[in-house]
Amino acid sequence: MTTEVASAALHPPLVRQRVRRRVTLEHVVMGGAIVCLIVLVVLPLLSLLLGSVRGPEGMSLDHFSEVLTGRLYLNALKNSLILGAWTGLFSLIIGLTLAWAVSRTDVPWKPLLQLTATVSYLSPPFLTAIAFTYLFSPNAGLINVLMRDVLGLTWLTFNIFSMAGLVLVTVMHTFPFVYLLASSALQSVDASYEEAAQILGASKLRTAISITGPLVAPAILSGTLLAFVNAIALFGSQAIIGLPARIVTLPTRIYALFDYPPEYGLASALSLVFVLITIVALYLQRAFLARRSYVTLAGKGSRPQLMQLGAFRWVLLGFAIGIFIVSIVAPYSTLIAVSFSKSWGLDFWKGLTLANYKFILFEYNVTQRAILNSLMLATAASTIAVLLGAVIGWIDLRTLIPGRKLLDYFALIPLGLPGIVVAVALIQFWLAMPVALYGTLAILLLAYVGRYIPLSVRAANASLRQVDPSLEESAQILGASWLTTMREITLPLIRPGLFAGWLLVFVPVIQELSASILLFSSSSITLAVAVYNLYETGYFEPVAALAMINMVIIGAAIWLAHWFGGRSLTARTEAAPVNV
Amino acid sequence: MAGISIKGLSKSFGRRETSFAAVADLDLEIKDNQFVTLLGPSGCGKTTTLRLIAGYIIPDRGTIEVGGRMLSSPSAVVPPEGRGMGMVFQNYAVWPHKNVFENVVFGLKLRRMPAAAARKKVEETLALVNLSGLEARYPNELSGGQQQRVALARSLVVEPDILLLDEPLSNLDAKLRERMRSELKELQRRTGITFVYVTHDQAEALALSDHVAVMDGGRLQQYGTPFEVYSRPANRMVADFMGLVNLVPGTIRAVNNGSGTVELAPDFAVEVAALDGFQPGESVDVAIRPENIRLAAPGASSAGKLAKIANHVFLGNISEYYVALSSGPVLRVQTHPLQHFEVGESVALEMDATQCSVFRRASGDAKPV
Repeated sequence: MTTEVASAALHPPLVRQRVRRRVTLEHVVMGGAIVCLIVLVVLPLLSLLLGSVRGPEGMSLDHFSEVLTGRLYLNALKNSLILGAWTGLFSLIIGLTLAWAVSRTDVPWKPLLQLTATVSYLSPPFLTAIAFTYLFSPNAGLINVLMRDVLGLTWLTFNIFSMAGLVLVTVMHTFPFVYLLASSALQSVDASYEEAAQILGASKLRTAISITGPLVAPAILSGTLLAFVNAIALFGSQAIIGLPARIVTLPTRIYALFDYPPEYGLASALSLVFVLITIVALYLQRAFLARRSYVTLAGKGSRPQLMQLGAFRWVLLGFAIGIFIVSIVAPYSTLIAVSFSKSWGLDFWKGLTLANYKFILFEYNVTQRAILNSLMLATAASTIAVLLGAVIGWIDLRTLIPGRKLLDYFALIPLGLPGIVVAVALIQFWLAMPVALYGTLAILLLAYVGRYIPLSVRAANASLRQVDPSLEESAQILGASWLTTMREITLPLIRPGLFAGWLLVFVPVIQELSASILLFSSSSITLAVAVYNLYETGYFEPVAALAMINMVIIGAAIWLAHWFGGRSLTARTEAAPVNV
Repeated sequence: MAGISIKGLSKSFGRRETSFAAVADLDLEIKDNQFVTLLGPSGCGKTTTLRLIAGYIIPDRGTIEVGGRMLSSPSAVVPPEGRGMGMVFQNYAVWPHKNVFENVVFGLKLRRMPAAAARKKVEETLALVNLSGLEARYPNELSGGQQQRVALARSLVVEPDILLLDEPLSNLDAKLRERMRSELKELQRRTGITFVYVTHDQAEALALSDHVAVMDGGRLQQYGTPFEVYSRPANRMVADFMGLVNLVPGTIRAVNNGSGTVELAPDFAVEVAALDGFQPGESVDVAIRPENIRLAAPGASSAGKLAKIANHVFLGNISEYYVALSSGPVLRVQTHPLQHFEVGESVALEMDATQCSVFRRASGDAKPV
């Protein structure tokens, strides 16, 4: 088998020898990732803690005692909990119904139901809120005007500026959490569990109550808690709907504490109370989800029984279409209609125009800057987050570095931090630093990467798990250095997962409002902040145009990530016996 | 020149309280051009040993030298990419995003071989493993056996001095496994590469190896030719692991110049050759393989011990009898299928004393006789 030319080149010179313990590129990259994570997450959190106990003279718990006794703060806490509870309940009802319909019944048009959940999840919640104010604001809302002034049906009017309105727009964003977890659980319960109960004589109802129910309950509860956590953290809808209704919640109260003069200590203390609620809920959620493991273990290739609903399936479909209309058709068609109107009202169709788009794209430099800033920030943040996530996932799964699990936990912490709390923590930290970051694009970038690092770490982790270490080791033994192995083997193999992670970060960043609202300056204004500010100042029609631009960017990002991610590669990777 | 010299190698995993020794005090000399198998049950440390040789793991104690060059010691480890070895993994580890050609040419590219020479070299190697013409296929378009050959070709194309194989045949079906087994053996002969082969399948080890290293609990139990480890097991574990074995309790009666008598029952004794270091009166177990016991009709052989057939299993190429001694123990015996006895029948049982091994009985495992 020897070719004479070849043999000489084959044996690597002994110079390649190097000792493992020397500092190598591998160590530099890993060290860099660890430092990044500490600066992004750990240090800001520590300064939030410090800020909350720093009084005028030395340490004190004054801020906490004021936050826990002051009427303003208790009221905000109460409102947040009420909002979270109602949202959780309705998310449970809607999400579970749709999940059950899709996974366990013969309801028609299942793709429509799935589409409803996906699009609702991806829609920026503050845009839904704005769209609903166009329809249901008490005086000028289109439907209210129609009912009251044209049809004379005053009892059919609805005031969006109320707790009910706030719950409505929030639920449209949060029910997909229950839907996603419940449908995956319902689909993974092996049909044989249910068949075993039925052969023993259990009726369908009895089987559902005593077998299926307990098996999927943890996932459903877990989804409900996620809905709760996400609901109370949404600054946008709570500012847009809640503030006119004088319903102040935790995010809007924290926001108010930054009115001049800013109350950093109180904001920190209130943020920590907020974090505590979130963390308790997330802890319960993980505990519930952990109990679910026995479902997924058994459930590969199962074929769940589909219930024959008869005529009732049309009722179920009607319910689903209702959700589809409220959560997607109504807000989107409203935003489209408003964006092309000269002035929004009952006869808006008489004056259709492109002026709003022209205004925000070509005439108004604030919105131009906002669009550019957001595009740059989202691209940079998702790229950095994905690379950082890949390295952190790699450290966790492929090395024996002590403390790597701790690193993994650090990377998950931001899941428990509402956006506005991230902003408060970053402000506290960077104001104390000698670098002037406040009000720059850089601090927004730090906020976005820090806030969404859990998503990219999870995506990288999941795809690295699919790559058996032996694939890397076999490159290594052939003589490939760490960098070559990464470039030739690991990165190409996890590329689809990284693109998915990139998208997972890009989409929320392009619509991020909760943290941006405290961190922006006139030069670093972002898309979502511009929408909010325009809305606050009453430029209703341009707002809708800007909202549409936002949606177009999100759609383009999804398409791009799909295109680059390469589906053929995914298929090939899955088919090969990578995970024997 | 690629003999492997392993001295005092130890590696533990886990934290201090829960740590366990995967490999303990391993000494092993693997000569150049040999086919050596690391054999043992799962968790015996064989794969850890292989990964220590490859350089994926840093030893806690001990050293690994190859051809006189120090590769591993607790203070300095040449990383896998600097060792010039090849490795074939249990799951093949054929890169799913590269086609057959790209997989195989990878190592040559790293060595900066000119493209034309590399192409020629890949073609030769693919021919060697019977994969010619499949260069453009992707791994998901190949069968398990073909992927296996790609993995082999990928390791062989760079002409390593040492090829490490980690249970490479365990994911193949029985027929294919047997064919690949003889191909591997043939390949090793032709290339003269030192093969270090990990398996838990004793038949595979016996069929392939020049030398077998039997491991258990992280320790080397015996190192010898297949014939040696099978017929002269060094201890109870090796005897048990290398195939079917009867362990018959007995007592040493006499020792004379290293040979002596072991009494298995009041009127049944065997003369055994290797009894160095045993004392008369000691409790021992005599190990004998089922094929080394002969059965005959009573009276036909004067040397036989009378026993009763307790059970019979017909296996096609052989017959298995479970034969009860009057003192209690039941022995498993393999005979030619044409030799037939009825269950309950009395037979004369004769053990081939030259094939008996004697092990001292640990205090814990004395069975009531």
